[in-house]
Amino acid sequence: MTPDPIPLRSPSTLECRSCGAGAPVDEHFCPQCSRILALGRHGDYFSFLGLPRKLVIDANDLERRFRDLSRKFHPDYFYNASPTERLASLERSSYLNDAYRTLKNPVSRVEHLLAIEGLPSAKSEDPSTGSGHMAGKVPPSLLEEVFALNEELDEIRELRESGADPEKLRARLEKARAPIDAKRAEHEAQLQELSARWDGQAGAAAAEKRATLDALRERLLERNYINNLLATIEREAASVAGSAQPAAGSHG
Amino acid sequence: MGKVVGIDLGTTNSLVAYVDEGRPVVIRDESGDALVPSVVSVGEDGTIFVGREAQRRLLTAPSRSVYSVKRFMGRGIEDVREDAGLLPFQVSGEAGGVVRIGVADREFTPPEISAFVLRELKHRAEEHFRKRGEFDFEVDRAVVTVPAYFNDAQRTATRDAGRLSGLEVLRIINEPTAASLAYGLDQRNRGTIAVYDLGGGTFDISILKVEDGVFQVLSTNGDTHLGGDDVDRLLVEIVLADLAGSASRGTGAPPDPAYVRGAGAAEGGPAKAEDRGAGAAEGGPAGAGGRGAGAAAVETIRRAVIQAKWDLSDVEDTEIRIEPSPAVPSGYQKRITRAEFERIIRPLVDRTLEPCRQALSDAGLQPKDIDEVVLVGGSTRIPLVRRLVEELFARTPHSELNPDEVVALGAAVQADILVSGRREMLLLDVTPLSLGIETMGGVVSKIILRNSTIPASGREMFTTGVDNQTGVDVHVLQGERELAADCRSLAHLHLRGIPPMVAGLPRIEVRFQIDANGILSVAARELRTGIEQAIEVKPSYGLTDQEVERMLIDSFEHAEADFEARLLIDARNEAESVIHATDKVLRRLDLDGTGAEVFEPGERERINAALTGLKFVMAGTSRQAIHDWTHALNNVTRHLAEVTMNQTVREALAGKNVKDV
Repeated sequence: MTPDPIPLRSPSTLECRSCGAGAPVDEHFCPQCSRILALGRHGDYFSFLGLPRKLVIDANDLERRFRDLSRKFHPDYFYNASPTERLASLERSSYLNDAYRTLKNPVSRVEHLLAIEGLPSAKSEDPSTGSGHMAGKVPPSLLEEVFALNEELDEIRELRESGADPEKLRARLEKARAPIDAKRAEHEAQLQELSARWDGQAGAAAAEKRATLDALRERLLERNYINNLLATIEREAASVAGSAQPAAGSHG
Repeated sequence: MGKVVGIDLGTTNSLVAYVDEGRPVVIRDESGDALVPSVVSVGEDGTIFVGREAQRRLLTAPSRSVYSVKRFMGRGIEDVREDAGLLPFQVSGEAGGVVRIGVADREFTPPEISAFVLRELKHRAEEHFRKRGEFDFEVDRAVVTVPAYFNDAQRTATRDAGRLSGLEVLRIINEPTAASLAYGLDQRNRGTIAVYDLGGGTFDISILKVEDGVFQVLSTNGDTHLGGDDVDRLLVEIVLADLAGSASRGTGAPPDPAYVRGAGAAEGGPAKAEDRGAGAAEGGPAGAGGRGAGAAAVETIRRAVIQAKWDLSDVEDTEIRIEPSPAVPSGYQKRITRAEFERIIRPLVDRTLEPCRQALSDAGLQPKDIDEVVLVGGSTRIPLVRRLVEELFARTPHSELNPDEVVALGAAVQADILVSGRREMLLLDVTPLSLGIETMGGVVSKIILRNSTIPASGREMFTTGVDNQTGVDVHVLQGERELAADCRSLAHLHLRGIPPMVAGLPRIEVRFQIDANGILSVAARELRTGIEQAIEVKPSYGLTDQEVERMLIDSFEHAEADFEARLLIDARNEAESVIHATDKVLRRLDLDGTGAEVFEPGERERINAALTGLKFVMAGTSRQAIHDWTHALNNVTRHLAEVTMNQTVREALAGKNVKDV
């Protein structure tokens, strides 16, 4: 779950609630009194974990950072601290847990990057995509596959209702699924390629970077659509299996 | 600052442990027993009995005794009706409210009953520290464990119980996680661990990753309504059906339907009871079907089947044996093999496997990815349980530590971490159930997903539907289902004092915070004005703060009365021993006829007066009067004591034994 981007209240500094000194927003502990800082309005999981805004992440390194920061922030270690510090520990731990969970998963990592780079969410552009499996605008690159799949699914559904052999229907479903699986694999590769491109564009012009981000967002939207298609196939497969059950039972 | 302990507040038994010189140890009583049965009984004079004594009273005063109350924690009457029907005590409550347990003429909520158990554990620990000669032996803080799959209401109820017992609950931790901490101490290993915890009333499975002393829970699952109790119940039902069947055969009347629960078993089946006494013909143990009459029978049967269950963990066959008694006049005897037992309980044990698979899948793991399997809870002594767990994970499970004690040990370790600031170990647990709010059409919108590492937070924006609306209601739920009706209602929040604005204009941010205990708190703010909103929280199955406060005051009043009672008993005991010693010397002098040599003028009269006075006030309840008269008797017998002492010494020197005095 990626939260909406939150504008930083004060972009560069944060006031330490323990000693009143100013602290850079990415610091976790006050440089003056070394007490844990209140969270403030952070919005960037990368900088919170001390990572550059890059998409290729070493999972072991990420986990190590998570463990190290957990050992610094966890409420267990603030039991005898002041209420201010205890609250700060609670907030910072919660935020860390969210940050780790989001960055660990490559897809939510991209979604978070898009959010902090100011792009609209790749999840909820069209509210209708969430409600129905086939609703919403079909991404142009998928038109052909979606058309073929829908036709095939309609036929399978009809056959199932007229009591066709579930084994045969299952085979047809598997066959219908193959091109979608291929599309998905293709998308995974594209996402990886675009991620690597983004990582190499640190010093590039804003327009170039924006183009990469837009492309990433397109891929994510398509990916969501593909996942919905796969879910539809799964549902139909379950219906086929379900229609097979009572038939087997009546013979047995 | 007092002492800190770890407490395993179990369905069947509870334990207390603490860390002694870096190592966790459970606290035992004089007989070496660590388990305090989680049973509470109210005496005819209102005295509260807890533990073994209360367990004994389950037979003699079943309607005044309560057990397995953990099953009722944080639940509503509609959840527990099935359980309640099989338990000997009265369970009531309004729909959608807290369960109330009627004992004698009093009513208790489950947290109050649990508080009695906690208080007993506190007392046990304090006695232990006092006997060790520690100056500051008071126990004022504890880490208390709960099943990992406990929801917010059940956790809150446990925390309330702690408050009511006079303990500050430092932390609520999950039982399987606590167990892993206890295991992790000995084996400084790293890797992925599955903890399978089948206790008296609850089942948990937790998958953890251990690295650099960080115990990170990846996923958890379970069933808060599955445990050894259910095994016992299946067996009790079979015995009840057998008894009812034989009773009806004896009388020619149809079996009492309230008495027969497993119709299949009532048909006879493999049951072959022998030695049935004539008592069976009188209608069987359930008698008129009254709760009071049947309760002792059920309890008697329960003990017999539990013994058989235990036997079958060690031997291949045994006997369920009930001696004829007023509760079960016919008595009962039946052979049962381990194979039969396993056939009976197999469906129960199978119910633990799906949560295991779900937890693995949530952690993104296959059974082969699990490095170690740890068994926790008394029910994991059942060979069938071990076998199925071993099959599922293809690993021989660990059971080096006593499965009854390992959770309390882990709780003690966590308590020590919290107060000592030791940083070599850290528990990162998860919330077992997704947290959400009800949106339009009764659909749940999830805010914090299950298996999120805690502490965890989430936010949700709300606005108003009509102009100048100043309040918004929010229904908070926990669970994985899509519809609110299928999830667990946690609370209704009422946001008040929203600045009057055009509909849809206010932007109210509600922040949900699950703390390290897995307990939710909520805060709200209107973002346009920055006004922090007042929130009224009406817990669905919990006590309000005011209710807890009131119970706390009640318990203080009772505690004072209890304390007074204890002091009075102490004073009486002291008085009795002085009276006894004085009487003994006087009798001796009378027998010897040596009084004349010993007494000073008027001494005998003064002693007699003090004795009479003390005996008189002993009949009353004034501690001060007893104390004063004891003091007086001590004073007037001082000379006598000196003389007899000297006499004793002389006699001892003359070869006589002190015992002869």
